[in-house]
Amino acid sequence: MSTIVYAARRIVTMNPSQPFATHVAVRDGRILGAGSLDSLKGWGKFETDERFADKVILPGFVEGHSHAYEGGVWKFPYVGYFDRTSPEGKRSPGLKTLEEVVAALAAYEKTLPRDGSTLFAWGFDPIYFTGRRMELADLDKVSTERPVLVLHSNFHVLNANTPVFAKANITRHTNVHGIVKDARGEPTGELQENTAKFLAYRATGFDLAGVLSDEEATWRFARVAQLAGVTTATDLHNPLPDSTVEGYLKASASADFPIRLLPAFAGASVPTAQAIPRLKELMRKNNDKLRFQLVKLVTDGSIQGLSARMRWPGYYDGTPNGVWNVGPDELDRMVLDYHRAGFQVHIHTNGDEASEVAIEAVEKALATAPRWDHRHTLQHAQMADAGQFRRLKALGMCANLFANHLFYWGDIHYAKTLGPERAERMDACGTALSLGVPFAVHCDAPVTPIGPLFSAWCAVNRLTASGRTLGEAEKIPVADALRAITLGAAYTLKLDEELGSIDVGKRADFAILDDDPLTVAPEKLKDVGVWGTVLGGKIFEAPRS
Amino acid sequence: MTAPIPFTVIGGFLGAGKTTLLNQLLADTAGRRFAVLVNDFGALDIDGKLIAKHGGDTIALANGCVCCTIGDSLVETVLKLLDGPQRFDHIVVEASGVADPGRIADLGVLDERLVRDGVVVVVDAANVRERAADRRVGDTVLRQLQAADLIVLNKVDLAEDLAVLRCFLSTHATAPVLEGSHCAVPSDLLFGLDRRGASGKPSPANSFRSWSYSWPEPVDRAALLDVLQDATVLRGKGIVRFRDSPDRRSVVHQVGKRVDITDGGPWSDTDESQLVLLGVRPVLGSL
Repeated sequence: MSTIVYAARRIVTMNPSQPFATHVAVRDGRILGAGSLDSLKGWGKFETDERFADKVILPGFVEGHSHAYEGGVWKFPYVGYFDRTSPEGKRSPGLKTLEEVVAALAAYEKTLPRDGSTLFAWGFDPIYFTGRRMELADLDKVSTERPVLVLHSNFHVLNANTPVFAKANITRHTNVHGIVKDARGEPTGELQENTAKFLAYRATGFDLAGVLSDEEATWRFARVAQLAGVTTATDLHNPLPDSTVEGYLKASASADFPIRLLPAFAGASVPTAQAIPRLKELMRKNNDKLRFQLVKLVTDGSIQGLSARMRWPGYYDGTPNGVWNVGPDELDRMVLDYHRAGFQVHIHTNGDEASEVAIEAVEKALATAPRWDHRHTLQHAQMADAGQFRRLKALGMCANLFANHLFYWGDIHYAKTLGPERAERMDACGTALSLGVPFAVHCDAPVTPIGPLFSAWCAVNRLTASGRTLGEAEKIPVADALRAITLGAAYTLKLDEELGSIDVGKRADFAILDDDPLTVAPEKLKDVGVWGTVLGGKIFEAPRS
Repeated sequence: MTAPIPFTVIGGFLGAGKTTLLNQLLADTAGRRFAVLVNDFGALDIDGKLIAKHGGDTIALANGCVCCTIGDSLVETVLKLLDGPQRFDHIVVEASGVADPGRIADLGVLDERLVRDGVVVVVDAANVRERAADRRVGDTVLRQLQAADLIVLNKVDLAEDLAVLRCFLSTHATAPVLEGSHCAVPSDLLFGLDRRGASGKPSPANSFRSWSYSWPEPVDRAALLDVLQDATVLRGKGIVRFRDSPDRRSVVHQVGKRVDITDGGPWSDTDESQLVLLGVRPVLGSL
């Protein structure tokens, strides 16, 4: 029962009765106390550890909406527009033109064995490219023999080369939604819908879901999260087949596994009558680093994917309203079933009509089966307006807002999908804060990179990629943004009594930062270096590139 | 190679009667082996005596049919079925209440062992107009109607004004409409003619009948399409020698408004064009 007291430049605790400290004592993986060195001496014999003396310690960051696929994709080259860091700490620079993407792929192709195996790359993000879309001929420059597949950063659109189309027998006569064709009726190389993409995956024998969710992917996900100062992360939508559960159990049993993982069961993947006993069974396998307890339901699609369910007046550019994955009536029934069984439900809603339907589903469930402290949470809630936040508050719901969208797609929302007014109030952290709705901010990795300090920076500065400030009125102070990525996110996961702040008895989960996020300029918040993390008292130093 | 398996999608909003339709299909399969893919077994009404084996997400029936729950991925469920040891004459998928059944029917081209059959959309006569006007689900309902190759207008006994409803459907959909209560419509119309191309059984409802033709001379493509697109023809199947490609067998497959013509390889000298049609009385024009 050894006790270690860590000295720090400053400790930001998120504990309102003692917001700051210089020392934190750790025993048995938990926080014995925080304060000055003097105030901790009464606990008996201890060792002092000075390694963080020039660092700033925060509660370990909590990523309330990410996907473990983030770990899987790093088996393959990243070809996105923005810089991105791999689990090994290696930085992949952003590729700013179509030609750069093709050149990078061609160079990578030369490193592969000459066995005709498929080249897969991900993260392709042509939104900021001017000029034409990627075509078959572009990827034919990478190889005319090997199948080449390039998945877009939205994970919905896939580009391929001629060998893939030949193998899949996709021609001008293939009559399937989502095969993009040019004015002459010839396929361009872009595949937009599941069936169309599946034709390509099947023809190349490439099992995307399989390679993205094995045990190795779980480890990589944990490492890439750890690099960003995360100690608790969700895998927020997973049908949890036995093979995945097995991988999670194995990984989380290791002392070196650097995060606490919360998978959310894909609540619509099987009927609720089967799902509820299965989830209860899974919860019996919970350990310190693995918690089955969340349910996720997906109502609509995405705003930039033109599949969000919006209230009037809909898409700014006149695009028809999006599609329901789970429609209003079914959502009512599913929410009620999980609510009755005592689960907390996380409901994906991008458009404001989806948010409305989800709020009403919870309202009806509460009228039928009153329950306190359910904390049902809207995930994304990007278009929620003040009225919807008032309803969230009244119903005891939480919101986890997709702040990273402001940077990555804010310009598109301003110009095309939402128009200026709704773009400026999207991901309304300021409204949530002023109305007292418990909230977090998130990355939805691998849609955007995992990085709570970056998400907090987005909530504070609301800058788009082009440098536009999107909604001065919805900015929040740095201190509140830091709370949103620690205690705030922990609250939305019902873990706030166990972690999220540096407080006696809680888990010794820390983010170790090079600088003090409360004293750097707010626009530099995203640049604060992460030295590493501490998880349950165990130190995980991040590799430096 | 064995003939590809017809792939049918049953769409329609929650409560329209999709499950009723499937229950009828399973109760009277006319000797054909159906694989029926549903979201939930809960509502299926399967006679316990018929169940040969219940394996969690699969129920095998004594008559050679099987029911599966779709689970997380329809694509994987369909492929698992195709790769399994059991053979089927027809695969039928129940779309979710908010899905676009036309997109699901795309899976019919996923694999050469499948052939896209029809999209059958079941419509609740009692409330379809109300649903279509709902600001949250109206566009979903209309999308389903537009995707239909055949529409089953169900619960006509509950419709208050059938004439207005027929007018509504003709405005929002181009598919032929079969009317009935408790989904009582001839299953031949929905699930096709016998695979071997023989004329379907005479349907119990005497308003429908089938015609079978064979003839040696090449036929004009446009003339045949005219016949098939006649509102009284609901289904068609055959192998035809077209004047514009007399050396190739053209395989014709029609479900409601949708006509697919695919290449079936070269003719042998002796073969004749054959066509089986199913439709509404009165009699069709002659070929």
